[in-house]
Amino acid sequence: MFGKYDLNVELKEEGIEISITGKGKKKSYYRKAGEEEVEKIIYAEEGNVVICPVEPVNLPNEGTSQHLLIELEKPIIIEPRIEDVFYVKFPVEVGVFLIDKKDVERIDIFTITKPKYILYGPPESGIICKWWGSDAFSEAPEVKRLYEGVMKVEAKNNYSEWVEIRKMVFRALDMKLFYNEHAFMHSYLEILKKTMGETSFNERKPKNMKRAIDIYLAKGIKRLEKKFVMEWGFK
Amino acid sequence: MNIGAAIKDVIDYQIKVLGGRTVGDVIFFFVILFVAVIIAKIVRINIRRTLKEKVPKTTLNAVEKIFYYGIITVGFLAALPYIGVEPTGLMVAGGIAGIVIGFASQTVVSNLISGIFLLIEKPIKIGDGVSLGDVSGVVKDIRILSTTIRTWDGIYVRIPNEKVFTSNIQNFVAHAARRFEYKIGIAYKDDADKAIEIIKNLLEEHPLILKEPAPQIFVEELGESSVNLAIRIWAPSSHWFSVKTEMLWKIKVSLEKEGIEIPFPQRVIWMADKKKG
Repeated sequence: MFGKYDLNVELKEEGIEISITGKGKKKSYYRKAGEEEVEKIIYAEEGNVVICPVEPVNLPNEGTSQHLLIELEKPIIIEPRIEDVFYVKFPVEVGVFLIDKKDVERIDIFTITKPKYILYGPPESGIICKWWGSDAFSEAPEVKRLYEGVMKVEAKNNYSEWVEIRKMVFRALDMKLFYNEHAFMHSYLEILKKTMGETSFNERKPKNMKRAIDIYLAKGIKRLEKKFVMEWGFK
Repeated sequence: MNIGAAIKDVIDYQIKVLGGRTVGDVIFFFVILFVAVIIAKIVRINIRRTLKEKVPKTTLNAVEKIFYYGIITVGFLAALPYIGVEPTGLMVAGGIAGIVIGFASQTVVSNLISGIFLLIEKPIKIGDGVSLGDVSGVVKDIRILSTTIRTWDGIYVRIPNEKVFTSNIQNFVAHAARRFEYKIGIAYKDDADKAIEIIKNLLEEHPLILKEPAPQIFVEELGESSVNLAIRIWAPSSHWFSVKTEMLWKIKVSLEKEGIEIPFPQRVIWMADKKKG
């Protein structure tokens, strides 16, 4: 389903239907995901529609959270001064965009995942995060591509003691999403102390993958810091 | 008489009411004032350009005004000797006037100082849902003398900053998450563990009910007519009210659907003659 299409398209996959139909300038957009249906009217002569994964923090309430917390079902314990690579799954939110030579306009975002929020840190100074539970895999796992994506995590323990990782928090503003058959992100987790670490993302496009449209860049939001500091630990 | 000499005569003309100051002195007074105003405007524009993206609008307004009127005041004091007024004399007069004005404008100054402290301490921000004394609503503006609130029912309320500063401030959205509580009574004949399980599953389904801190559901009291359950839920501060209004009815419906009764207050009465029989 991910990809670039003309303004006349009908797609069906994993219970999701997307169609843009109509002749001339006036076209009808229809989307069904689960029980949710959306219909919109589009006036356009040229341009394309792009369907791609977006930062998975927009639904069900945009603005509630700008962070994704991935909770590992089995915690990972990392030895001091060790680097390791593992993979986790993250929830997929699908964005539908209209594009032409000058502009990108988001017309829809949907998901078939069941969203849940969590508080990371104490209530007085913590942050609300979108929650997702995942196992840690030593190789890229199989995923239902419209339901979950794959995140490669390069973890590095720079601290002098063993550290147990159960939670990892990623800032949506830092995320760099790519896709081919499924959504993909490549992140870094640097452990600085027993209860402090930094997460960031690799911006380089992997081979045979396409770069997803960055919602924040499309909105003109710039990043000053490219790392998120996990100051309330990993448990 | 040529024109140059005529102009010189006018410039050198002494004005008696100004203690013998010449027309030239008066012109110089206004030139100094004019230059001060120009400099003040240039400084204000530069402050606005430099700080626009960096400080809140209210702070920017305060800083702009302090610099603008400060420069004009300095210019005015510097120009005063040209119209025969010595700033030292003015200071004595100003001191007396200051005392009089000070008494008269005590409240205004108090509001101003409170406004500055509010901007520094920042217990509330524009857009926050707050309760200030007996007024609750959304903060629409924090000015140098007053704070404006749009109450929950849409009424405009202006509160002097002194009152804001000295009142108990409750900011409903200052923290990321907040907790609310329901109390629900179930019949004595029903299984409290089953009721807790039903409620727990229902809360788990709602995206805005936080996974952590996890909801707490427990038997709080053995009441007169019911076993009372306490349900404590954490939600994002921005959405807690919508979650609170949504969930109570859903809990009631879910419990009744599973055959758990939410009883009315009741009292068992034993009739004396019936007991004998």
